[in-house]
Amino acid sequence: MDSEDDFGCDYDDDDFYFAGDDDNNDSATAAAAAVDSDDEEEADVAADYEFSDNYPDDSNEIASNRHQQNFSILTEADIYQRQEDDINRVSTVLSISKAAATILLRHYNWNVSKVHDEWFADEERVRRVVGLREKEKEEQPIAVVDRPNKLSKLTCGICLEAYPSDRILYTSEANCGHPFCSECWTGYISTAINDGPGCLVLRCPEPSCAAAVGLDMIGSLASNGEIGKYSRYLIRSYVEHSRKIKWCPAPGCEYAVDFVFGSSGNYDVTCRCSFSFCWNCSEDAHRPVDCETVAKWTAKNSSESENTTWILAKTKPCPKCKRPIEKNHGCMHMTCREPCKFQFCWLCLSAWSGHSCNRYERAKHDEDEKKREMAKKYIERYTHYYERWATNESSRQKAIADLQQMQTVNLEKLSGIQCQPVTQLKFITEAWLQIIECRRVLKWTYAYGYYLPDHENAKRQLFEYLQGQAESGLERLHHCAEKELQQYVNAEEPSEGFIGFRSKLAGLTSVTGNYFENLVQALENGLSDVKAHGSCSRAASSKNLGETSSKVRGSRGSRNIDEWGYWSCEHCTFANVKTATICHMCYQRR
Amino acid sequence: MAVSQASLLLQKQFRELCKNPVDGFSAGLVDETNVFEWEVTIMGPPDTLYEYGFFNAIMSFPSDYPNSPPTVKFTSEIWHPNVYRDGTVCISILHPPGDDPNGYELASERWNPLHTVESIALSIISMLASPNDESPANVEAAKEWRERRADFQKKVSRCVRKSQETM
Repeated sequence: MDSEDDFGCDYDDDDFYFAGDDDNNDSATAAAAAVDSDDEEEADVAADYEFSDNYPDDSNEIASNRHQQNFSILTEADIYQRQEDDINRVSTVLSISKAAATILLRHYNWNVSKVHDEWFADEERVRRVVGLREKEKEEQPIAVVDRPNKLSKLTCGICLEAYPSDRILYTSEANCGHPFCSECWTGYISTAINDGPGCLVLRCPEPSCAAAVGLDMIGSLASNGEIGKYSRYLIRSYVEHSRKIKWCPAPGCEYAVDFVFGSSGNYDVTCRCSFSFCWNCSEDAHRPVDCETVAKWTAKNSSESENTTWILAKTKPCPKCKRPIEKNHGCMHMTCREPCKFQFCWLCLSAWSGHSCNRYERAKHDEDEKKREMAKKYIERYTHYYERWATNESSRQKAIADLQQMQTVNLEKLSGIQCQPVTQLKFITEAWLQIIECRRVLKWTYAYGYYLPDHENAKRQLFEYLQGQAESGLERLHHCAEKELQQYVNAEEPSEGFIGFRSKLAGLTSVTGNYFENLVQALENGLSDVKAHGSCSRAASSKNLGETSSKVRGSRGSRNIDEWGYWSCEHCTFANVKTATICHMCYQRR
Repeated sequence: MAVSQASLLLQKQFRELCKNPVDGFSAGLVDETNVFEWEVTIMGPPDTLYEYGFFNAIMSFPSDYPNSPPTVKFTSEIWHPNVYRDGTVCISILHPPGDDPNGYELASERWNPLHTVESIALSIISMLASPNDESPANVEAAKEWRERRADFQKKVSRCVRKSQETM
C-alpha cells in the first residue's frame, strides 16, 4: 500500500521526487500528523490569535529547523587555507616540492585522491603529462642536462643574447634544459599572468616542451601584484573544480559556500552577504520546489512571451496530455512523446487507429472549435500560474523594501508613539521576515502547481488545499503587517489597541509559518501523504479532507462558485451547496 | 626596461636578416629611427597563384615584443581567404597566447616568444601557398577559393599584376 511502487509510478518524467525515497515512509506519517493537527487548527483559527507570548518561540524553533546549517560560508582566506592543506598533504605523501604538488593538484582538478591514484599507478606517465621533471633527471645537476656547451656563456632562446650561466634559468620543476635569461622569463610570465587564468597551465616557452612552470618560479620572477593575481586564479580554480564549494552568485560578493550533502535534499543556502540561493542550480532559493521544475519554469517564462504566438500558430496540444506538438514530418499520423505516446491524427486530433476524417461533418467542425479552445485553455492555464508566480515575487520585493523602511524609520517612530522600547517591537520584524519567506515559497508553489499532472487528482487536491490555506493565511498576515500597522504608526498618542494588535500579528506570524511549514513538507515528500492516508484507518477523514479541499480550492480563483457547484464561505471557508444562502457551518450570510 | 629589451631584440633581428636574407622576403624600416615599424616585401611563392607578385606589408611590433605578437598588414591589394579586406593578416601564430575566444586554435599554434621575424615571414609565405579556408578572415574569398576556383584565380592574378606595376 505504502510501497515504493506507489511513489514510483506517480512521476514518470521526474525522478527528483524519489530523491528522499528512504525516508518517505517516516516523513509521510509525520506530514499526515501535521495535516491532522492542521484540521484542529483550522477549527479554531480565532483561538490562534491568542497565543501571543509562547508562539513566537515556537515558530523560531520551526524556522531554525527549516534552516538546518548544512553549509558554511568561506572567505578567501578560508579557501586559501584549505588549498594549502591539500597542497601540503600531497607534497608530504608524494615527497615532492609544494610547487610540484600544486601543479599536480591543479592538473587533476584539486582532487587529492585522484592525484594519489594516478601517481601511484604510473608515476612516470603522470610526470610526463603534467610536465614535471622525470625521475632519473631529478638527481642530475642542471649543467649535465643542458645541451653541451663548451663556453661558459649560454644563449637565451628568446632574446638570442649570450649570458653567463648564472643569469640563465630553466623551468624549475621540470628542468627541461631550454635556456632563457631571467629578463625574458619575467616578461613571459608577466604576459601570461596578465592574459588570464591560462597562466595556471603555463609551460616552457619552447613550443615543443611540456615542462610546467611552477609556483616558486612565479614567486621569484613576477611582481607582487602579479603574484596576487596568480594566487587568486589558483583559488578560483580550486573553488570552480570543487564539488563542494561554490561562489555566491550575488554580484560583488566574494564569499564561497561550502555545502554538506545531507539527506534533506534541500539546497537553499544563505550567504553572509544575505543573498539566498539554491546551491545546486544557483537560481534564487526555491525550496520546496526542485531544481528541475525551476529550470523548466524559468526557461518557459523567458521564452513563453515571444513564443506564445508561435505556439498558437504552429502547434497543437496533444489531445491527451496537452503538451504542445509541432509537426515536422509529412504524414498526419502523430505520436506524442514519452510517456504519453498517444497516437492521433494531426488534422482532426482524434485517436489514430481506424479513424478517417476526409468527410466533412458538422460534428467534426465542432471538433475544430474544440481544438482551438484547447490551445486557448493551455495559454490560460499558463497565464494563471505565471501571474501568481510573478505577482508573489514582486510582492516579496515590496515586502523586502517595506521591512527595510520599517527597520530604518518606522520602528523608531512607533516606539516613540506607543511608548514601547524598540526591543519590544521585534515581533514586527519577525512578521515581515515571515512574509518575505512565505512569498518566496508561495511563488515557487505556483511553478510546482503548473507541473503537477492533471490526472493526479488526489495530489492536486491536497496541494491546492494546502496552498490555499497557506495563501489565505499569508494574505491576512500581510494585510495586518502592512495596513493595520499603519494606524499605530500614524497615531498621535499611545493607542489602546496596540497590545491586542501585537498579539494578533504575532499569532498570525506563527500560524502562517505553520501553514507554510506544512505546505513545504508536503511538497518535499511529493504529496505522498495522500497515499499514506488512503492506507490507514484515517482513510475516511483523508477522503473528507480531499473533498473539502477541492471545494475550498475551487472557490479560490473566483471566490465564488466552483466547478462542482459549491461556494466557499468567506468566514470559515466551508464549502456550501449552491442553493444555500447562509453558511451551513458558521451561519454567516453569503 | 621592456621597451629597450624589445628594441634591442628587433635591432638584432633586423641586422641578422640583412646579413642572411630569407628567400622570398625582404625587409626594411619604415622610418630609420623607429625599429618597431617594418616595411616588408613578400614575393609570391613559386608554383602558386601568387607567383611573381610582390606584396608589400607593414609589420608593427608592440612594446612588449616578444611576449606579444606583431601585427602584419598588407599595403598591396591582395585577395586571400586569410587576409582581411583591409589587408590585416590572420594566422594563428600572430594571435596572442592564452585562451582562444573562438576555440579554433591550439595554444601551441599561437604566438610564442620564440617566434622571430623570420618565422613569421615563413608562415606568411606558407599561408600564401596553402590558404586555410576553415576559419577565413575573408569569407567571400574563402568561398570563392572553395567553390569557384576560376574566379578566385582571376582576382588573384589581377592583384599580382597590380603589385608588379607598383614596384
